[in-house]
Amino acid sequence: MIEKALKGNRSYWIWIAFLIAVIANGLSAYDQQRWFGLTVTGMGRDISWGLYIAQFTFLVGVAASAVMVVLPYYLHHQKEFAKTVIIGEFMAVSATLMSMLFILADMGRPDRLLNIMLYPSPHSMVFWDLLVLSGYLLMNLVSSWAMLGAERKGVPPKAWVKPLIYLSIPWAFSVHTVTAFLYAGMPGRHLWLTAVLAPRFLASAFAAGTALLILVSLILKRTTGFDTGNEARTKLAVLATYTGLANFFFLGTEFFTAFYSNVPAHKESLQYLFFGLEGKCQFVPLMWFSLISGVASIIVLLVPALRKSTPWLVGACSALVLSIWIDKGVGLILGGFVPSPLQDIVQYTPTATEIFVTLGIWGIGILLLTLLLKVVVAVKMEKEQ
Amino acid sequence: MMNEQRREFIKKTALGVLVGLGAASGLVPAFSLEKTVLPVWDEKPVPGKIRWGMLIDTRKCKEGCQQCAAACHHAHNVPDFRNKKDEIKWLWQNPYQKVFPTASQQFVSKEIQDRSYLALCNHCAESPCTKACPTEATFKRWDGIVAMDYHRCIGCRFCMAACPYGSRSFNWQDPRTAIHDPVTTYPTREQGVVEKCNFCSDRLVKGQQPACTEACPEQALTFGDLNDPRSDIRLLLEANETMQRKPELGTKPSVFYII
Amino acid sequence: MMSKKLLWIFAVTAMMLFAVLNVFRKGEAETPPPLSVHKSVAIDSSKCIAPASFMRANHMQVLYEWRNSSVRTGNRVYIASNGSKYEKSLNTCLGCHSNNRLFCFNCHSYANVKPKCWNCHLSPMETP
Repeated sequence: MIEKALKGNRSYWIWIAFLIAVIANGLSAYDQQRWFGLTVTGMGRDISWGLYIAQFTFLVGVAASAVMVVLPYYLHHQKEFAKTVIIGEFMAVSATLMSMLFILADMGRPDRLLNIMLYPSPHSMVFWDLLVLSGYLLMNLVSSWAMLGAERKGVPPKAWVKPLIYLSIPWAFSVHTVTAFLYAGMPGRHLWLTAVLAPRFLASAFAAGTALLILVSLILKRTTGFDTGNEARTKLAVLATYTGLANFFFLGTEFFTAFYSNVPAHKESLQYLFFGLEGKCQFVPLMWFSLISGVASIIVLLVPALRKSTPWLVGACSALVLSIWIDKGVGLILGGFVPSPLQDIVQYTPTATEIFVTLGIWGIGILLLTLLLKVVVAVKMEKEQ
Repeated sequence: MMNEQRREFIKKTALGVLVGLGAASGLVPAFSLEKTVLPVWDEKPVPGKIRWGMLIDTRKCKEGCQQCAAACHHAHNVPDFRNKKDEIKWLWQNPYQKVFPTASQQFVSKEIQDRSYLALCNHCAESPCTKACPTEATFKRWDGIVAMDYHRCIGCRFCMAACPYGSRSFNWQDPRTAIHDPVTTYPTREQGVVEKCNFCSDRLVKGQQPACTEACPEQALTFGDLNDPRSDIRLLLEANETMQRKPELGTKPSVFYII
Repeated sequence: MMSKKLLWIFAVTAMMLFAVLNVFRKGEAETPPPLSVHKSVAIDSSKCIAPASFMRANHMQVLYEWRNSSVRTGNRVYIASNGSKYEKSLNTCLGCHSNNRLFCFNCHSYANVKPKCWNCHLSPMETP
């Protein structure tokens, strides 16, 4: 089937060439990072994780959100999602790959990556995260590829495919729960040390993931004429709305606990992010932008007339994705490091090298998604004719 | 005991004579490489029998004195990049509210606020860093020391996020470029691994006190076995009111402070 | 009857002995005691731990084992097949082999093997 990705029009190849250029640029930036060390990034002793881990967190969420179409389609037979489900699964595949690449990019000694498996340490959440992520990647790739192959040949899928898909449903929840547990189990990082982190991760992931899925399906419709259907998109928009609401509800509970209890450790990070601490307010505009655009997009999506209009839908979905990307990437990861264990407030600005590597990894993920979706569209269009 | 001292003496004199002769004849360069030293531990150590700890008498700590940190960083080839972002430190001085942010901050006497307080790895009995490490590159040793196996570290920096004391540093770049006065008795680290205070396990094995303890002109630092009720450190803990950093986190630090 | 008496004598002697030993212990504690916890051993580095042919073929396994057992389990003493003891340290090797500055490098560059030991440890080339 993969040969179908090799046939395309001029704009398809321009797009592929553009992605390859971005990837090449990322690789050369990464080469620089390997040579000079992570000093070429904006990270430092006090803010020891930055853009890479933020992208990782966001993308694990996008990966997990495939369950928002897989679950209704396979467990509740929601036929509207017939054409969307495979897009969701392939989005999960490329998002998982990207998140793993971001971990790799963040490592000081990537040549020792296998040590995680050579010295398995069940007490470490990273060990579990690597297990669930690689499992999830394989599971989605194998099951969706097998489903697509069967569809192409016009035969029912092999008997093992369905159980694998059913397994991927709880697995998706576990993927993002374990990712939340990476942070939520650390004493002394009070922004993360909260039981609501895992539920909030799931809510924000489902909101951002479904919004992104709507955008991808609209792009597909525009570029290839392959339409997953307005009905599917409207349903997805409803899912995005309510999971988005849940996310902001959880954020509200964080605010209440932090500011009503008035315990300094609990409120300092939130204070830094949203109001500034000791006159330092690097992220304040960004966080308010995130909050306002998130809430506004949910209001738009709540109005049926607006969510059925494509321009409004695109605007709202983009705003929601951006809002959660800022909230989960910038806010959650960087905010967790401020104030530092010694009460220092340190600023963080990603360097050009860091941004190029990040774009390169996004390029790899989008390239993979483009190729996979190209195959999907070719197979589906072939069947329709 | 006697035997060991005698052997040490004989070895040193013999070596001294040899090096002296060699240096005199210009054959052997003056040589300070760590020669094979008698390790204190002969047999496999019993886990949990010893728990090394440190007591810092902050009343004795003199303003402007940096001898402990200088001795530590020199003895362990800790690089100095002269910028805060890439900074690597094992032992350093801080104001009161940074070291004890969860202790009472109101109406603290000026004298207490003016003092400086040493921060270093606490070698916690319940260490969050070893729990977070995915490769057991940082691990709890048999003697309570939270050790680093630099050969195994993948540089994921989970331990840095997990440490509530900011005691860990990462080698953002090649440390060898910033070691201004290297010693040959201890290895360096390399780019991409995390490092921190090792409670001078390299010196303990030779029966020596930690470098900082030895360097302090005021004898403000007491090092010893917390599991031995008769050790100096335990007697001092018995006789004084002491503090640990952020005890509410349940990490059970092995470093104590007399305020 | 007799055995009970013996037991008493034994117990009293043991207690006295304990007390006397304790006095000694205290006496010792006044002079700062070294931090030694186990008895130390005579260590030799005047000759190689194994024949050259064995070392040529197996030094990497030996060093790997030394590294793991000394760093992780704290067992720093290596007992060679003939019973002599060595400290598990690259410096034990350098005790002799620093006489040839190219000792490690000659073969490794010939075999194109690039171990990372010298990123942190002293190599024969850097020994003072």
